[in-house]
Amino acid sequence: MPAQPRIALVDCNNFYVSCERVFRPDLSIKPVAVLSNNDGCIVARSPEVKALGIKMGTPVYQISRLIKQHHITLFSSNYTLYADMSARVMTLLENFSPTLEVYSIDESFLDLTGICDKDPLAYGQNIRRTIAQNTGIPVCVGMGPTKTLAKLANYAAKKWPKTAGVVDLADAERRAKLMRQVPVKEIWGIGARLAQRLNTLNILTAWDLANQPVDRIQAQFNIVLARTVMELNGIACLMMDEVVADKQQIVCSRSFKRRLTEEDELAEALAEFCSRAAEKLRNQHSVTGAISVFIRTNPHNAQEPYYQRSASMILPQATQDTRLLVRAAKQLLKSLFKTGYRYQKCGVQLSDIRPATQPGQDDLFLYDDQNHTNNAAVLMDTVDQINRRFHKAITVAATGLGQRWQVSINNKSSRYTTEWSELAKVKCC
Amino acid sequence: MTLPTHKDTRGGARSGAGRKKGSSVYGETTQAIRVPESMIPELKNLLQQRQQQSQQTRVSFETFQPDRDAPKTALPLFSGKVAAGFPSPADDYIEKTLDLNELLVQRPAATFFVRAEGESMLGAGIHPNDILVVDRSLEPVTGKIIICALNGELTVKRLKSERDVIVLGAENPAYPDIVVQDGMDMVIWGVVTNVIHSV
Repeated sequence: MPAQPRIALVDCNNFYVSCERVFRPDLSIKPVAVLSNNDGCIVARSPEVKALGIKMGTPVYQISRLIKQHHITLFSSNYTLYADMSARVMTLLENFSPTLEVYSIDESFLDLTGICDKDPLAYGQNIRRTIAQNTGIPVCVGMGPTKTLAKLANYAAKKWPKTAGVVDLADAERRAKLMRQVPVKEIWGIGARLAQRLNTLNILTAWDLANQPVDRIQAQFNIVLARTVMELNGIACLMMDEVVADKQQIVCSRSFKRRLTEEDELAEALAEFCSRAAEKLRNQHSVTGAISVFIRTNPHNAQEPYYQRSASMILPQATQDTRLLVRAAKQLLKSLFKTGYRYQKCGVQLSDIRPATQPGQDDLFLYDDQNHTNNAAVLMDTVDQINRRFHKAITVAATGLGQRWQVSINNKSSRYTTEWSELAKVKCC
Repeated sequence: MTLPTHKDTRGGARSGAGRKKGSSVYGETTQAIRVPESMIPELKNLLQQRQQQSQQTRVSFETFQPDRDAPKTALPLFSGKVAAGFPSPADDYIEKTLDLNELLVQRPAATFFVRAEGESMLGAGIHPNDILVVDRSLEPVTGKIIICALNGELTVKRLKSERDVIVLGAENPAYPDIVVQDGMDMVIWGVVTNVIHSV
C-alpha cells in the first residue's frame, strides 16, 4: 500500500516587508509597505497596512493622506536583498524534503509523502520555527494530497490565526468543512474574471466547484479548470513543473540526473532556463528588472561536500530579451562557480516583473472619464507600436513619471546581505 | 564573368618577418605606452627586475633538462576521473587552498555580517567599525555574545544570567548592565561567532 501523497506549500508572510523588518526591528509592529519600481504602486503590505484597507497594487498618490496620517514607512523595492533572503529560505527548506520546487520568490512546494505521517502539524511547526530562527522570516505551511489543496491549506493557515500557521488537509471531512467557507476566487489559478463567470452559474465556494462534474466543466470551460476540480477532490494532476510563473516572478530550475562539474555545462543549462523564462515574459507582455541565479550540489548526500550559492543582479534596463538575460546569468555564474564540486541543480529567477508598457504610463490612462478612454486606447496602441519599434526609447522616457507624487519615501534600504559597505549597523552602547 | 585566379601578393605582412614573439629581454611580447616623466626611474627599476627574473627563469628552465638515461620507474596512474565517483588517491597530494568561509561560516543560510558601532564591547575585542559574524541558527546560551533588538535597535551584548534573570552585559566598565524585565522590548536576533578586525 503506497503512502498517501502529501504536498506542502511553504509561503513567506508579506515577504518583502518581512525582509525589511529583519534589519529594522523598530518597524516590527509598525505599518510598512514596499513600492514597485519607480515607487509607483504598493507591492507588499504589513498586516497594519492591510488593516487600513489599502489594497495590493494601489498607486501611492491615491493614499498619500493615509500615509501621512498613519506614519506608514515606505520602502522602494530592494530586489537584491529579497533575492538573497529568498535563497536562504529555500536552502533551509531543502533540509525538510528531498523534492522541492521553488514556485516564486517567496513560496515553494515540498513533497512530504511518507516523511511526516505521524504528526504533520508538528513537522510544519518545525519548518516555521527553523525558518524564523535562521532568517527572521515568518512563514505559513499548508499541506494536502494535491498542489491545489496545499495552496488552499496555506490560504487557511494565513487567514485564520487559530491554525498557528500550519494546516493539513489530508482528511476529507476537514477539506469539505474548509471548502464550504472559502470563496471560489481564492482557489489557485482562478482569477477575478473566471470567478465572476462561476458565480453566475451559482458556483460560489470552493466546495461548489469541487462538486461539479469534471466532464461538464471541461466542456463549458477548459481542461485547466477541469484539472482544478479533480485536484480539489484529492486527485493529483499537476506534477512538479519546471517552469512556473505568476504575475510577480518567473522561476525556472531543474535537477540533473547526471552531476555537472564544469562551468560550461551549468552555463548551458542556465541559458536554456533563461530563454524559456524570457519566452514566458514575452507571452505575458512583461519585462524583468532583476535576475538571480543559484547553483548547488546534492544536499542529501553526506559523503560529498555541500556547496550552494546564489547571486542576483539588478538589470540596467528592464528587459524581455533572451540574450541580455543569458549574458547576465553567465556573469552571475562566473562569480558563483567553484570547481571540485558535483552540481545537482541550478536555476534562474526573474523578479521585479512589470508590464512591458510602463505602469507609470498606465496611470495616465486610468481616468474614469469617458472622453479619456477612447484616447487612451489609441494612445496605448501607439505606445505599444513605439515599444515594438523602439523599445528602449519609451522606457527611458517613462522613468521620471513615478516621481510626480510628492510622498516622502524612505528610499531603498541597504543591501544588508550582499554589500560590505551596506551592512546593518549594531550598537555597542 | 571570370574571377581572378591568382591571389594578390603585393603588400601586407610577410610570414616569418620581424622579431619572434617573446624574443624580447622580458621573455614575452612588449608594447609601447606613454608614462608621466616623474615615474620613469621607478618604472625602469621595475622593468629591470622583471628582466632579471625572466632571465633567471629562462636560465633555470634550461638547467632542468630531463635526464634521458634515467632508470625507468613504473608509477600507478592517478586519474582524477574514477567512474564510480570515488575520490582519487592523488587528491591527497593536492595542496588545497584555505577558504576563510570554512573557518568563519558554518551555516551560510543563517549567517549575517553586521558592523559594530560604539565602545561598550571593547573588553570582548569588539572595536568600532569591526565586522561581526552572526549565526542565527545557534541557541543563545549564557556567556555568549549576542545581537539583540533592544527598544527597536540592533545592539551587541554579553548574555548573562543572575538568579533566573536575564542580564545584558557590556564589556566596558563605563557601561552598566541591563536587567531584562517583563514588558521590556527585547528580542534576541542572533549569536556572534567571530569578530573581523582590521589592524
